[in-house]
Amino acid sequence: MNILIPDSWLRDFIKTKASVKQIAEYLSLCSQSVEKIIPSKNDSIYEIEITSNRPDCLSIYGIARELNAILPRFNIKAELIEPKEDKSKLSEIKKPLQLRVEINKDSLCPRFTALIFDNVEIKPSSKITQERLEKAGIRALNNVIDISNYLMTELGQPMHTFDYDKIKKNKMTLRESKEEETVVTIDNKERKLPKGTIVIEDGEKRLIDLCGIMGGANSEVDENTKRVLLFIQTYDPIKIRQTCQKLSFRTEAASRFEKGVDPEGVIPAMKRAIKMFKDNCDASIASNLIDIYPNPQKPQKVSLTKDKLKKVTGIEINLEEAGKILNNLSFETKIKQDEIEALVPHWRWEDINIPEDLIEEIARIYGYYNIPNNLFVGNIPQDGGNQNLNWQSKIKNVLKSLNFNETYNYSMVSPQILEKVKIEKSDCIQIDNPLTEENIMRPSLIPSLLTVISNNQKYQDKIRIFEIANIYLFIKEDKLPEENLTLTLAITKDSFYSVKGILETLLNELNIKDYKFNPYELEKTTYGKIFKHNNLAEIIVDKEPVGVIGELDHKIRDDFNIKERTIIVDIELDQILKSASSIKEYKPIPKYPAIIEDLTLVIDKNVPIEDIIELIKSTSLIIETVDLVDSFKENFTLRISYQDEKKTLTDKEVKKVREKIIKNLRDKLKIKIKS
Amino acid sequence: MDLNKIQNLKNQALSSIIEADTKDELEQIRISYLGRKGGITNLLKEVPKLKPEERKEIGKLINEAKKVVEDGIKQQIKIILKQKENKDDKWFDVTMPGEKTNLGHLHLITLASQEISDIFKRIGFKQVSYPEIEWDWYAFEKLNMPKNHPARDEWETFFIKGLKNKKYGGAVLTPHTSSGQIREMEKHQPPIRMLNIAKCYRRQIDTSHAPMFYQFETLVINKGINITHLKGTLDYFVKEYFGKDRKTRIRPFHFQFTEPSFEVDITCSVCGGKGCKVCKEGWVEIGGAGMVHPQVLKNGGIDPNKYTGFASGFGLERVLMMKYGIDDIRLLFNSDFRFLNQF
Repeated sequence: MNILIPDSWLRDFIKTKASVKQIAEYLSLCSQSVEKIIPSKNDSIYEIEITSNRPDCLSIYGIARELNAILPRFNIKAELIEPKEDKSKLSEIKKPLQLRVEINKDSLCPRFTALIFDNVEIKPSSKITQERLEKAGIRALNNVIDISNYLMTELGQPMHTFDYDKIKKNKMTLRESKEEETVVTIDNKERKLPKGTIVIEDGEKRLIDLCGIMGGANSEVDENTKRVLLFIQTYDPIKIRQTCQKLSFRTEAASRFEKGVDPEGVIPAMKRAIKMFKDNCDASIASNLIDIYPNPQKPQKVSLTKDKLKKVTGIEINLEEAGKILNNLSFETKIKQDEIEALVPHWRWEDINIPEDLIEEIARIYGYYNIPNNLFVGNIPQDGGNQNLNWQSKIKNVLKSLNFNETYNYSMVSPQILEKVKIEKSDCIQIDNPLTEENIMRPSLIPSLLTVISNNQKYQDKIRIFEIANIYLFIKEDKLPEENLTLTLAITKDSFYSVKGILETLLNELNIKDYKFNPYELEKTTYGKIFKHNNLAEIIVDKEPVGVIGELDHKIRDDFNIKERTIIVDIELDQILKSASSIKEYKPIPKYPAIIEDLTLVIDKNVPIEDIIELIKSTSLIIETVDLVDSFKENFTLRISYQDEKKTLTDKEVKKVREKIIKNLRDKLKIKIKS
Repeated sequence: MDLNKIQNLKNQALSSIIEADTKDELEQIRISYLGRKGGITNLLKEVPKLKPEERKEIGKLINEAKKVVEDGIKQQIKIILKQKENKDDKWFDVTMPGEKTNLGHLHLITLASQEISDIFKRIGFKQVSYPEIEWDWYAFEKLNMPKNHPARDEWETFFIKGLKNKKYGGAVLTPHTSSGQIREMEKHQPPIRMLNIAKCYRRQIDTSHAPMFYQFETLVINKGINITHLKGTLDYFVKEYFGKDRKTRIRPFHFQFTEPSFEVDITCSVCGGKGCKVCKEGWVEIGGAGMVHPQVLKNGGIDPNKYTGFASGFGLERVLMMKYGIDDIRLLFNSDFRFLNQF
């Protein structure tokens, strides 16, 4: 949470010659980060980001306290000035005005204080008050309401003011809201409250306050108000937070209450408020102080050994110096031999609980910039981590050299785009609170890549793209989804066989030997629905199906507005990487020459070429390789390489094998050699 | 016949051949020695008139001379051609475009991940991966952020519909790589020296935030690990990735899962650390870090009395955008070829 601190106001509490720039720099280095210095008329305003563990810094005085510890470390004198408080005793009012208070559950409101003022004159605040509020980003309203905003900024304690005469029967009950209750807040909005919200009702059971968040319109201070009830409390932070989340509504006060407000700070704030009511509104105190604080917090002690301090910071800081730093931060300390015992100031009780918390306090003020940079030594972890990452790099580099562009697309996609590739959103992992219409964790990379083609076809004629990313598949309600690493290629203006060749090159680079392409026959799957039936193959690696290669159906192409023929390869990467190997198999270079010849076959029926090649290879052990080198209409030319490891083959030996090949083809497949 | 005459004729021919520097001149020489009425041809014509005992030897000599002259001419033609080739002053445009070899493009995120991974591997880190859709337990609960903790607000979290586990609570899109910390600790006792580069998700979108982005997280746990090691590692990384002249600093910050916690700044590349519009007084923030909270070590099954550790988490896009001067993170995810083809 960011706050605005006017420099002139800050200097009410810290007397120092430090410049604005120095304050900003040193505060950032040792405490809260100054995001910006905003110049203002005769003044500067610090915009400071306050971390969630330091609600005590959400105020001018809180920042002054920090500077009081920090500036002397940079050899700049600084003196902390206490806020001016009213000194009257708060229990000796004659004929006090009455307020009956009931709190249904102690935990809702750890500390409840209230005080009534009479003879309040409502008027605008002084010019200086108005200006200060404005610089802190708050609109000035009238002298009463301004006091609560002024002190929230100055001390970090939110407070609220009621018109005492609008509280029926002088009675307040603080309780949790029931089902379906509503309250109209001072911004004149009717708010339907979630059950369990902290509220106050008056003697006529009207809700008059949405506690800690905003007051009720029916009890607000207006220009006719004479008697004011000042209200300073702390609330259960979790309750406040839940209400804000459910109402999607948060105020300055609420942001402070949900981070926790110091109950010990309530009385000093009350005394400061009394002074301002007297000074700014000519008001007089008209009641005794109501202070309900059933479970006062106990002072907290934390100890730290010298060893521990060194173990975490890596440097030697002597305990006297550490003690001095803590003292400047308002800790009381005692040093016992090698241990320092620190009594935590009440505004830090939530934050400082363990020795590490003290170490942070000491080290940040000592200066992180005073700690040297070292590289560590020691044992190296034995297992190598995720090995697939290396393979991914390799695959990406191969694809790059094959002229592919890598794309990164969002994991979330819209239901509409999934519909286009015939995927039902009900089968998918859905986001409960999406930012846009993209509310589904994609179960396929295909729609993303088709969108990329569609968007880019105007820039490039032939497209080759890929993406490697997880897809998400639902398993069971109480199991995390399967995250399958997937490689998808999309290629336009190219043939099935050319893409198949690319895929084979890739498989060869991964040293995957056992792969096969089978016709894909399931019609009802997504693949079956979006590809052309006769141009779709299943990729088999080590006997397992690992993906498909196919040409996209015309209809789907039209839906994505893609102009050119598109081939897709979709592979489960984790699956094929199980078969990948980085070691190539070595074979000795043959000592004797091979005999190579081409045979042209006439294939006039649907026989897979793979079967023909297999048949030829199985004819004799001297057949080293059989490759299809050319095809035209029914003519298929195969190049056969004959090789014997132990001798030079003679024409006679090759002739014998060739004749056997021809016979096999004729007898088993009814295929002839072109004459 | 005078043997000297043959010899002289041959020498004459050879010397004029050597001096010739065009093909035409050589042709003239050929004609004058070897043509129908050429000097050597004429000598040959006289051979039949010689005494039979001279014929054989003189004939042989003349034929040799003829051969030498023929070879000389051939040789000289080659020389002339070579000279001509070398002197070729036809205009040749070296600025004509080369014939392109097509090469694709890897995405900047891949390039940055590979670079970062290499930098950390050099000092013994191993890279791991953990789920992107993660239980609340790992993303928040075990990192000291119980339900309703205001610190959770800083992670604008996406929640997953319909997933719930008795032990682990609901499921979220992991808003930070720190979710992997507990998983790593559950898997391994120290030494831990982990790098996790992964997709993260938050409900934010503007020029510096995309709802999906990458973080890279380091986690080091061992005996004797302290703040100086955290600072040293950050400094090492920044110098390797951004350049030797860059400086780092850490400032106080707060995370529930580290104590103390830091924000990490590096000197601004634009002004070199003097202070300018794009930086804060010469420094630019690049990520968060801290010493692993003892409770988090305990939650991961590691004895905080024996071991200490540090963790750091940076936005990958943020560092690469700083390095390349890219001003809108969304460019990285909308797959526009005009952008992708630049890398």
